[in-house]
Amino acid sequence: MNNAMANVVVFACNWDGLSCIEAAAQKGLRYPASVKIVRVTCLSRVHSGLILKAFELGANGVMLLGCNPGNCHFEIDAGLIEREYEKTRNILGLLGLREERLALTRLPGGDGPGFVKRVTNFIAGIAQTEPATLR
Amino acid sequence: MQNLEREIKDTNIRLCLDCGKCTVVCPVAQHDPAFNPRLIAQRRLAQNSHGSRDETIWSCLSCYMCVERCNYHVNFPRFIHALRAESLAEGAQIQCSHGGAFQTMMHLMAREDLQQKRLDWLPKDVELSGQSDTLFFVGCAPYFDVLFNDLGVNTLDGVKGALKLLNRAQIPFNILANERCCGRDLLLQGDRKGFLTLAKANVEEFARHGVKRIITNCPECYYTLKADYPNMLGGRGIEVLHLTQAIAPLVQSGKLSLGKLEKRVTYQDPCTLGRCSRIFDEPRQILGAVAGLKLVEMEQSREKALCCGATSWLQCGAVNRQIQNQRFAQAEASGAEILVTACPKCQIHLRCAQKSSDGKGARVEIQDLASLAARSLD
Repeated sequence: MNNAMANVVVFACNWDGLSCIEAAAQKGLRYPASVKIVRVTCLSRVHSGLILKAFELGANGVMLLGCNPGNCHFEIDAGLIEREYEKTRNILGLLGLREERLALTRLPGGDGPGFVKRVTNFIAGIAQTEPATLR
Repeated sequence: MQNLEREIKDTNIRLCLDCGKCTVVCPVAQHDPAFNPRLIAQRRLAQNSHGSRDETIWSCLSCYMCVERCNYHVNFPRFIHALRAESLAEGAQIQCSHGGAFQTMMHLMAREDLQQKRLDWLPKDVELSGQSDTLFFVGCAPYFDVLFNDLGVNTLDGVKGALKLLNRAQIPFNILANERCCGRDLLLQGDRKGFLTLAKANVEEFARHGVKRIITNCPECYYTLKADYPNMLGGRGIEVLHLTQAIAPLVQSGKLSLGKLEKRVTYQDPCTLGRCSRIFDEPRQILGAVAGLKLVEMEQSREKALCCGATSWLQCGAVNRQIQNQRFAQAEASGAEILVTACPKCQIHLRCAQKSSDGKGARVEIQDLASLAARSLD
């Protein structure tokens, strides 16, 4: 699979997560155009149903991009996303779709190069071992 | 539309006398006045064309209580499934519980090139017989335990118990590495295309492995494999047994002896196993064969048993919770220490209700029948 073809959905929190993506755009940093950004108010909004839906609709990988621990915009981070992340990884494993297709990435606000590096590595990881299981 | 006409005929819905007994016994109608089986049928039959959508069709639990009470055995749940299929085809949005995770998982399982890794839990001491033409159909328990980890759900315990019982009874069986969901919930939701894809894939897998007999511990898989597969795909001649049907005759005849467990238990008849499949006695015979176990019945049991409150991963709200709390009150009143059920979904729904009551609710322990029977063997 060509890296540029990987269908990757990034669920980005509206705060530090999205600011990284915006910073990357402002600095003109390049990453594959097939990466689709879904902006959410907080990563705690994302649950296994949404993540799995992305795979059903043809995503090759899903990245959850949010604030560093303790840096949640809403002050209280109940650890919901960690729980959903673990559950969904296990489900992907059971389905034989491989756990590595889901990543939880936390970055400080405005880290454009950090985001590009992480998303590029993530895509490279998926592309390397891509079996023909996805559309 | 043609399909619906056939369903109207097959379900005997025109025999409805308007007596309203279905509504009186319906657990949903007791808590939600807007839900009325009799009027749903009346409204749909009065329409010449599709008319406005009836939103109440999504609340039905398919618990078969109405069929049980109806003098003409009008198959109202099946009529509801047909209405849902019609509504879905017209573009209705379903209110899925659990964020739609189950619907999506079922669709992902329908992929042709699916290669699941679903047997990591299999205990090493279970004896599988690769040559056997009997299959143990595991069901979605491995998936349930992951998604409901935070509720303390352990449906695989029931599966492991079932395998232990079968080994002890010297019934040889095999397990499929790439078994898919039976698809019942998609069928109940009205997604017939999704159901058929899963059903065909499973039937092909059965044929490839020369399966002639299937034993399962899940009532929903049981009914689907036994009744819905031949009904929707045509007969394939596979005999389907619920675990209790395989084990109960052996404990009755003394060929298999269970152990001892000093407990007072009550039994939750799963709707699909009881009213739908008419299996009431076998689970009780197994419980009766455990020495020291005292079975006490709840106020509503057997044909009148109350549903666990939710089905087919559809709506789950205050009404469903009220039904569950009603069931817990009956379990508490029976004085049982353990509420035994033969269905993984009853376990999930009741545990969820128990957990969300913040410890103020019923303290009764919830356990799977097979896991309890196997526990007595230790």
